[in-house]
Amino acid sequence: MSVDGGTLLAILVMALATVFNRTAGFFLMRLIPVTPRVRKVLDCLPGSVLVALLAPGAVHGDKGMIAGLAAAVITAKLVRNDIIPVAAAMAVAAATRAFLP
Amino acid sequence: MPRSAHTQTTLTLAGCLDGARTIFPLMPGLVVFAMAFGAAAAQKGLSLAEAGLFSGLVFAGLAQMVALEGWSTHWTAASLLALGFLTMTVNMRHVLMAASLRPWFAPLPAWQSYSSLVLLADNNWALAMRYHAQGGWDVGYFIGAGFVTWVIWVLGTLAGHVVGGGIPDPKAVGVDLVVPAFFIAMLLPNWRGRREAVGWGVAAAVAIVVSFLLPGWWFIVIGALAGALAGGFTDER
Repeated sequence: MSVDGGTLLAILVMALATVFNRTAGFFLMRLIPVTPRVRKVLDCLPGSVLVALLAPGAVHGDKGMIAGLAAAVITAKLVRNDIIPVAAAMAVAAATRAFLP
Repeated sequence: MPRSAHTQTTLTLAGCLDGARTIFPLMPGLVVFAMAFGAAAAQKGLSLAEAGLFSGLVFAGLAQMVALEGWSTHWTAASLLALGFLTMTVNMRHVLMAASLRPWFAPLPAWQSYSSLVLLADNNWALAMRYHAQGGWDVGYFIGAGFVTWVIWVLGTLAGHVVGGGIPDPKAVGVDLVVPAFFIAMLLPNWRGRREAVGWGVAAAVAIVVSFLLPGWWFIVIGALAGALAGGFTDER
């Protein structure tokens, strides 16, 4: 259960960097006046972040990833429940990878 | 900052419990990825205590995995600086996520809003933004979901370090779909019409193009900014 000094320092540097990332955007928005236009951009930000995370993953992904994402989209549109899209995506991806290599 | 009488923002224990419950569908993904990190950390020669401190203090899965690949035993000022910048670029999306929380969290006292933000991760942010879009104002929801994510991340890391190898291949059982599928469930209710069609279309197109052109994770930040600007300047007819 030893902790090396250099390792601890590296971990602390990373911790500092992640805390900076987690707080900097919130602080900066204090300096930007929230006009109706800025408000609209901010309202569009969450969806855009999620799409920008998901779309390249789908393009670079294998058949299992694409089939699983499609299953998630279909089930998420059909039911208001978070477990079913996750379970469906896992099952479809696992099956696709097992049977359609 | 004076608390205006009409602010709707609250922070309650009930909200924390509510948020903690909703992270449940992510369990399989979180546990497997945390264990995979713990096992990888053990392989790189980190002790159990170091692996636990790593996940507990950094709490950023992707950045931890990337940093571990180039993990060193002898740290110099230059390599520490490089590590700090690597971490910041990998997790640059958190800057945007925190910015989007400003209108909601701003009425809280600074010590409460900033200490909540330390728990910011992709999952609880995505969950909280959907909750807020549907009319929720309790910051506890974000904190509860973030705290449970943190606990599982740390415990999973320790378990993975102890177990070592023998963790099922995440791809064979579809565990790599857990987070993307959860994000889709968070994303779809935000669809309202023309503005989303333009914003999401631009975000997807720009992110895909950038992912081919630039190394690293810039595609997320550049795609998201392009999409938010395009959507924000699109007016509903």
